[in-house]
Amino acid sequence: MSKRFIKLALFYLILIGLWQGLALLKIWPEYIFPTPLGVLETLVTGFEDKTFIIGILISLKRILIGYGFSIVLGLFVGLLIGRVKTLDETVGSLVLGIQALPSICWLPLALLWFGLSESAMLAIVILGSLFSIIIGADTGVKNVPPIYVRAARTMGAKGFQLYTKVIMPAALPSIISGFKQGWSFAWRSLMAAELLYVGLGLGHLLMMGRELNDMNQVIAVMVVIIIIGIVVDRLIFARIENKVRERWGLA
Amino acid sequence: MSKLADESVQVEELKNVDELKPNKIIDVRGAICPHPLNLIRDTIVSLKDKEILQAICDHEPTAKENAPRFCLRRGYPLKVIEQNGIWQVFIQKIEKTEPRLRVLSVSKVFRTNQGKVTALDNINLTIQEGEFVCIVGPSGCGKSTLLNLIAGLDKPTQGEIWSNGNRVTGPGSDRVVVFQEGALFPWLTVMQNVEFGLKLRDVASNIRRTLALDYLKLVGLDEKFHNSFIHQLSGGMKQRVAIARALVMEPAILLMDEPFAALDVYTRETLQEELQNIWTESHKTIVFVTHNVQEAVLLGDRVIVFASNPGQVKAEYEIDIARPRKIDHPEVFLNTKWITDDLKEELEEQSYKANAKKEVVYR
Ligand SMILES: Nc1ncnc2c1ncn2[C@@H]1O[C@H](COP(=O)(O)OP(=O)(O)O)[C@@H](O)[C@H]1O
Ligand SMILES: [Mg+2]
Repeated sequence: MSKRFIKLALFYLILIGLWQGLALLKIWPEYIFPTPLGVLETLVTGFEDKTFIIGILISLKRILIGYGFSIVLGLFVGLLIGRVKTLDETVGSLVLGIQALPSICWLPLALLWFGLSESAMLAIVILGSLFSIIIGADTGVKNVPPIYVRAARTMGAKGFQLYTKVIMPAALPSIISGFKQGWSFAWRSLMAAELLYVGLGLGHLLMMGRELNDMNQVIAVMVVIIIIGIVVDRLIFARIENKVRERWGLA
Repeated sequence: MSKLADESVQVEELKNVDELKPNKIIDVRGAICPHPLNLIRDTIVSLKDKEILQAICDHEPTAKENAPRFCLRRGYPLKVIEQNGIWQVFIQKIEKTEPRLRVLSVSKVFRTNQGKVTALDNINLTIQEGEFVCIVGPSGCGKSTLLNLIAGLDKPTQGEIWSNGNRVTGPGSDRVVVFQEGALFPWLTVMQNVEFGLKLRDVASNIRRTLALDYLKLVGLDEKFHNSFIHQLSGGMKQRVAIARALVMEPAILLMDEPFAALDVYTRETLQEELQNIWTESHKTIVFVTHNVQEAVLLGDRVIVFASNPGQVKAEYEIDIARPRKIDHPEVFLNTKWITDDLKEELEEQSYKANAKKEVVYR
């Protein structure tokens, strides 16, 4: 573990060193090739004057509202089509078809419907994550070994109880994978949408960097976006996923 | 022979009615409340063993449906004679305690894309309270199907199943199943698995815990595994937990579907021995399905042999060997050999028939 950490630390130190070295050669102007120190400086001032903090909070607020909505709706639809054959053959096929669409392709539609507005941002997050969540829940439910349901029924479980006590927990690993994929799709499409929208999100800060020819800001915001993506994915979803897989005995 | 409307079950016929003197005659014509059947039933209660009741009845459903069904359930012989819209119903009372389980003319047909599969064809079984019955037969002969029907997880195409005088229409906690494997819930710990059914019944948590501990002890699961997850257990331990999970529901009948088939020989022998002890102590009625004749002989008071295509009862053997039985007991060996020899003849005959059919097809 610590050996791996040393390797990683060394790798990034060398990378940043090379970057700083190249920048010192001044082959390109600074607005094209920034220095690590410049980026760091921008990060520090960005957090000090709170523009980055506001950007992060605004983007997170959008994704949390939209994603929360997706979870509720997606779970409901997914659990339903996983069990009801007619719905599966109709709604299920539609969902599978739409899922093939890269989530960023919802952007024009959302802009036409809602204009450049807060609602459009939410729509993007919802449309970006909803279908992955539906499919995760649907797949999970379909793959629940029938023997679990039968065993529960002989022990007296009926109707809705079968959902809450057996089908949902049995489908949890797949539901979590759907959540995880839905999150990353939503995060990507939100960043893309914010590039166009003057709404103080991280995407907007990125675009502002371009407009001001401030490469330091561009890179600094990109770093923030990457870090948030990794933190959520690694620290939240991967952890939950590992815990669930460990518990369920999935290798 | 009196047939019920759905024609799936038949009541035993009361013979030579003309020569028999009824011990009691009642006239239930015009009775609405109480219902004619209630009058008949009440009168039968007052009769002694083997005595005969003659009821004069003008209510067709009572004569053709209710009374025959009542007699069928109780095992009373019956004769119904019709004369100009009046029915003479003769019923003989037979004293006996209600069997724990009755399977009456049960058939099960599955409709698949390839057509109909008759998994069970006219199965009749009566199992008494406290019996240990083994059902043995080749794979695909409908053993699991029958167990599912008894458990109420599936409905017979024809026929009826009665548990302690109540018609089986769905799952009930008087009948709990132990499956072959993979039926424990991986998202719960061992303890939570055993408590699952009690929790559904809203049993208080301290009582739940005590009961679960008792039964885990009964099946001999080491305490250090009580909070393990299912995938951390060996096959034998899993089946112990599965048995505890079923027993904790206090079922009247324990249904077991090849519970030891996936275990290694040593573990299987241990569990077979322990199951015998559990049975001796708890006086449960057990219906145990297996494809292994030796296992059936070792465990059962009675061994019911199934044949396939379609699934049917082929033969029945009483196993009268003192308990606890050991797998290497000479009598277990002998009984196994007899049954296996019978089965072999049967199988050879079947394959002969099948080959004969094939030849016809090839020509
Ligand atoms: N759900 C089902 N749908 C269609 N056919 C089934 C179904 N369940 C069982 N069968 C068929 O019924 C027959 C008996 O199966 P089963 O009861 O599982 O046999 P056993 O337990 O004795 O091996 C087999 O031919 C099997 O293919
Ligand atoms: Mg089977």
